[in-house]
Amino acid sequence: MVQVTVPSILADQAEGRRCFDIEAATVGEALRALPVADLLFNERGEWSRYLNVFVDGTDARERGGPACPLAGVHEILVIAMLSGG
Amino acid sequence: MAIGVLALVGTRKGLFLLRGDDDRRCWRADGPLLDGWAVYHATVDARDGTIYSAANHIVYGPTVQRSDDGGKTWQRSKKISLPEWSGLTVNAAWHIEPGLPQQPGTLFLGADPGALFRSDDSGETWEPNRGILEHSTRDRWFPGAGGLCCDSIQLDPRDPRRIYVCIASAGTLRTDDGGQTWLPVNKNVAADYLGSPYGEVGQCVHKLLLHPARPERLWQQNHCGVYRSDDCGDSWERLDGNGLPSGFGFPIMIDPKDPDTAFVIPERSPEYHYSPDAQFAVYRTRDSGQTWEEMSDGLPRPAWAAVLREASASDADSLYFGTQSGSFFALADGDTWVEAARHLPPILSVEVTQWSR
Repeated sequence: MVQVTVPSILADQAEGRRCFDIEAATVGEALRALPVADLLFNERGEWSRYLNVFVDGTDARERGGPACPLAGVHEILVIAMLSGG
Repeated sequence: MAIGVLALVGTRKGLFLLRGDDDRRCWRADGPLLDGWAVYHATVDARDGTIYSAANHIVYGPTVQRSDDGGKTWQRSKKISLPEWSGLTVNAAWHIEPGLPQQPGTLFLGADPGALFRSDDSGETWEPNRGILEHSTRDRWFPGAGGLCCDSIQLDPRDPRRIYVCIASAGTLRTDDGGQTWLPVNKNVAADYLGSPYGEVGQCVHKLLLHPARPERLWQQNHCGVYRSDDCGDSWERLDGNGLPSGFGFPIMIDPKDPDTAFVIPERSPEYHYSPDAQFAVYRTRDSGQTWEEMSDGLPRPAWAAVLREASASDADSLYFGTQSGSFFALADGDTWVEAARHLPPILSVEVTQWSR
């Protein structure tokens, strides 16, 4: 079981929930199980390029992206990329 | 029960509901709803009171959101998507047009990249129109600064098979068979940025409106001028040489009671996008575009205002528009503008309806 935490703007789209306990084998599988999955992936199944996903503190892109295995992982953080003014 | 005006003001950071008294002098703002989403367009479906919003986010993408309780709660449509064979993906949801009264549950959605969607289940799901998607001229369409946006969808109230859509920069397309086939209707409409400025397609329509009382009459604010058609778009007459300080602008408004009356908000040329000489004004024609008169009473001057293509609306009694600097104006007594709200986020869209209080 992994805990997935999403930003507040996504919580507004999920009846106010920010945290989800999900049973999944990979990061992609976990994110696709979220009620806001349609907002994280485009219609080709790709992550938004402005989306950062951290797996126990490490950028998921460094661990295979959506294919990153979740064995031993406790936490996934979904964070919108920082933007400047 | 008194009736007031409800303005749905879409901004870069959410949707605001502005309620005005019937004299349009006193207003109350609620919001932002859909906090953090760029609301390119929001409208009330007069058939059942549902609010629909074309809400976009740079990270989370395009969505259509609907509320059947006045904006308290929202439901997201199923993912809006284009078929893989098209090689296209949806970049933004631009405009939602409820169907005709005799088409319950039907809505249309205009989207970037030059796509029209139809829903027959009150916005739960959306199907792309293949006639637009596979149009034989698509390879000659190209995006403007706002993308390849489909922002004008007009339905002929006398004939549900006839629909107009505008795509920037493809021009105006008309179907007479319910969306199976689409005919470019851009005769005499300039595209000065092209080597051949009067081509079949490639025009940059900023906003097109059909007059409900005379559906063969169309008004168009284009990148290259203001136009009127009296034959369902088969031909167009250019009107901005008759007293407008600039032919460039984005929104256009009409008077639903008078097909000869229209309103535009000129801006200095495509490179600048603000009021010519800082003389912020709406211009009105009452003679089908033969002459134009300035309506600036109550508007700030000097002002370098910019009003986007979806950021204006009209009803039987008044006109309404919002600026990119977050001011919302309504026409009150006679020809006087009232700044009904200021310091909102940049305003992207305006629609109005009535509300009971």
